Amino acid sequence: MARRSDRVDPATGGDRLYRFVDPHVLARISNLSLLARSVVEGFISGLHRSTYLGRSVDFAEHRAYMPGDDIRRIDWRLFARTDRFYVKEFEADTNTSFTLLLDVSRSMSFGSEGLTKLDYARFLAASLAVFSQKQRDRIGIVTFDEDIVDFVPPSAKHLEIVLHTIDRVTSQKPSDYRRPLLKVAEAIHRRGIVVLISDLYDEPEAILDAVKGLRYKGNDLIVFHVLDPAELKFPYAEAASYQDLETGLAVPVIPEYLRDEYRSLVKQHVEKLTRSLGDNQIDYSLLDTSMPLDYALFHYLASRERLTRTR
Amino acid sequence: MSFLAPLFLLGGLALAVPVIIHLTHREKKDVVPFPSLMFLRKIPYRSVRRQKLRHLFLFALRCLALLIIALAFARPFFETSSTSAASSLGPREVVFLIDHSYSMGYEDRLSRAKAEVAGRIQSLGGEDLASVVAFSDRAEVLNQPTSDKAALEAAVAGIELSARATGFGPGLKLAKRILDDSELSRKEVVLVTDFQRLGFEDEDDDVWLPAGTVLTPVDLSTAETENLSLTSVTLERDEASGRERLTASARVTRKAPADGAPLTSRISLEIDGRSLQTKPVELEPDTSATIGFDPVTVPAGEARGTIRLEEDALPQDNVYHFVLSPGQALLVLNLEEGARRTRRSFYVERALEIGDRPSFRTASKVLSQLRASDLSGTDVVILNDVPSLPAAPAGLLSEFVKKGGGLVVVLGESSARNSFAEGASELFPAALGGVVDRARDWGGTLSYLDYGSPVFEVFNAPHSGDFSGAKFFRYRAFDSAVSGGVLARFDDGVPALVEHRLGSGRVLVWTSTLDTFWNDLARQPVFLPFMHQLVKHAASYAEASSWHTVGEVLDVERYLAMVLEGESEDDSPGRSFDLVVTAPSSRKIILPRTEERALLPLEEQGFYDIRRAGTGGAASSSSVAVNLDTAESDLSRLDPEELVASVTFRGTGAPGSGGPGIEGPGDSREAQEGRQGYWWFLLSGALLLLASETLLSNRLSMTAR
Repeated sequence: MARRSDRVDPATGGDRLYRFVDPHVLARISNLSLLARSVVEGFISGLHRSTYLGRSVDFAEHRAYMPGDDIRRIDWRLFARTDRFYVKEFEADTNTSFTLLLDVSRSMSFGSEGLTKLDYARFLAASLAVFSQKQRDRIGIVTFDEDIVDFVPPSAKHLEIVLHTIDRVTSQKPSDYRRPLLKVAEAIHRRGIVVLISDLYDEPEAILDAVKGLRYKGNDLIVFHVLDPAELKFPYAEAASYQDLETGLAVPVIPEYLRDEYRSLVKQHVEKLTRSLGDNQIDYSLLDTSMPLDYALFHYLASRERLTRTR
Repeated sequence: MSFLAPLFLLGGLALAVPVIIHLTHREKKDVVPFPSLMFLRKIPYRSVRRQKLRHLFLFALRCLALLIIALAFARPFFETSSTSAASSLGPREVVFLIDHSYSMGYEDRLSRAKAEVAGRIQSLGGEDLASVVAFSDRAEVLNQPTSDKAALEAAVAGIELSARATGFGPGLKLAKRILDDSELSRKEVVLVTDFQRLGFEDEDDDVWLPAGTVLTPVDLSTAETENLSLTSVTLERDEASGRERLTASARVTRKAPADGAPLTSRISLEIDGRSLQTKPVELEPDTSATIGFDPVTVPAGEARGTIRLEEDALPQDNVYHFVLSPGQALLVLNLEEGARRTRRSFYVERALEIGDRPSFRTASKVLSQLRASDLSGTDVVILNDVPSLPAAPAGLLSEFVKKGGGLVVVLGESSARNSFAEGASELFPAALGGVVDRARDWGGTLSYLDYGSPVFEVFNAPHSGDFSGAKFFRYRAFDSAVSGGVLARFDDGVPALVEHRLGSGRVLVWTSTLDTFWNDLARQPVFLPFMHQLVKHAASYAEASSWHTVGEVLDVERYLAMVLEGESEDDSPGRSFDLVVTAPSSRKIILPRTEERALLPLEEQGFYDIRRAGTGGAASSSSVAVNLDTAESDLSRLDPEELVASVTFRGTGAPGSGGPGIEGPGDSREAQEGRQGYWWFLLSGALLLLASETLLSNRLSMTAR
């Protein structure tokens, strides 16, 4: 069993397990379901299974009745056969709805090194879906750009649909957060975990304003901010016209004179998002598309645990 | 270094092009897609646009190439070495051209001109030669070329304001002659004037100074001038209550800046030094007005009149002089025969009653009663269809004509063939012939008129008198060839009007009647002017001018003969007396009797007094009023550069005839072209630079990729 500490940098070769979480390797796998399961299995294999037993529709085992147990859980059929009191134990069910909010706007189609942000977001979303399925969560997904594109309500049986939805997303329209996320907030009646995967190209205030609705309805919100390395470092050298993928607007830019200022602005943006989302108990994580997916999964798991404790 | 086309230097502004290219127009790349310009657009615009010049060497190459191209198109040239040497070495021949036309009397222009020249005389070198030329519309050298500064200063100090107008041509021609005669290599003309535009005429373009001459204009004009001037005077004479009256009017012009305020002045009419009337004048800038004076009675004898405006900065053109000569009525004596005379002279007398320039006074007498005293004072005698001319009156008339009198002989029904006495034959150009009767063919017409003669001269212009409407039913022919000049003929060739000179006078023979008996000419509109012209020509009448203009030359003797009646008989080539002329400046001019003709150039403004030496009193003297050329009152300024360029620059002149600008003495076309050929090298250099720039920019571009 490979432990996390055994992993090495993929650029230098890496071990066999780690390569399954390298996004560039994953990009070669066309079956999203297989991809997600590979990631999650590989990831889980390094963890202790920690399922929770409790009330659920999935039977786990019988045990002897103990005073104090709910008599409704006594298996009367077994009592009839054995004349002893046994209570049914079911496999633990977290009773949690897990909803993915996947940004499929045009800006997500950017990728400086082959892998686009949308690809990365798809892998991440699929991995999270599979991972959540393992946790017995009800899984749903919402894809959106300036409006909701696809909506799969959370259900324990929706994994395949969710994966299929993730598989066929395309980026076509510019993004808007407020409108689709407010609709989602209205559509989700049951509290749960909501994961937003987006490049968050809007003012922090506007983004906070958009996700607040979800948060106020009691959902636990995790935000994955997916950016390409080029967006973070702005490594361009030659002056050129830079065209906004969402608006089509082009401006002449000489990177050497703007780079520092740009980086500073991006840094401020991230800091502001971290601060403002954190203030509202929203988990925020910046993901660089060159980063392995397990980082996101670890972050998710850590958040999940923390949320469980909090609940 | 100078430039043939300096305007092309403006092409240097094209230097902005590489600057803009280097700042804004970088190498074009494909559009780079970027997820969002949210952050880039937050960076202030000037930060995006504020760019430094890159590739400074490339930039310098481009700028230099453009600069050189602009320089090449401006056609630089260098003055010839000979001209340069001439302008820096050796003594100078300097001509000071000083304008002393009367416009220099505006404020203190002449004194400033003198001071300017005096200063320049002091700066002359010891070996420099200088001449002083005073010019107006004619030029005068005041001294021979000299290095004596005192003599030059004295010449300058002696320059006085003339009454003439400005003309640059004569002064420049004189300066050219002086410089042509000079052996010094450095030549200079200092033109001190107020640069009146009127002084520069088209033919002045043909005047140009020797090659290498430096023309230094000294402009004494002022930016804004204010001048009120009398530009013309009109005198109307008429008769009222037996007295001759004069109605004068004057045209006043004001030249001033357009934004000037209205100017009020006063204008007065003076006769013989006494101010008779004064009227106010109010004029806007650049306007004119005609001021009419009330009629005044013309005094007996000759009178001097002056119309005077209040003085301004240029007082010379505020005065207009004129002379009122006594009325010049022509006395016409009609000689007729017996009872029918009244009827015959009716139309003639009526025609001569009308007219004031001159007026006619008619008298009638029966021929048989003619005495010598009747002819005294008579200008013209009309012998109106008399049947015969006896010897006695014929002698009187011959004598009268020889002394300058005029005789008009009218032939008619009564004038029988060969009825004139033999003594009268000298009065007629030929013997009288028979009557030609044209009644059968409805009358003849005048088919030939000598429009060159004073009688018909005024009818020469179109619509100026139609003789073709007059029908002549009868007229008298001459028997043989006419000895005198035929001034008019009928349509069958028979002379209608014949002129015959006798002594100082002339005889005019009209071969038909001057009433309605043989023709209807008297009923035609043209009859009245014809009669006036006929009588005036017979009397050798010439109107005396009320004034003359400075610059005219007056034939004094003829003028005296015209204005002093009774003293015009002497037509001999030599005079028996001297003429003494007193100019307005009181300068006396004696025109000796030995001179064949007494010609007097009129140079001063005012009244000239002319009299015969040895005589006294007004009866034997006469005045001539002389006024300025009013065109000089227009002080419009000529650009000195225009004048300098037109007399010193000859880019296309013949070899060796160029001005100092680009041609030296003896320059060949090759040499001229050689000095102007730098543009070729510059253009070649620019092309090389541009080629280098192309290579360099390509290399830089490839490196960047």
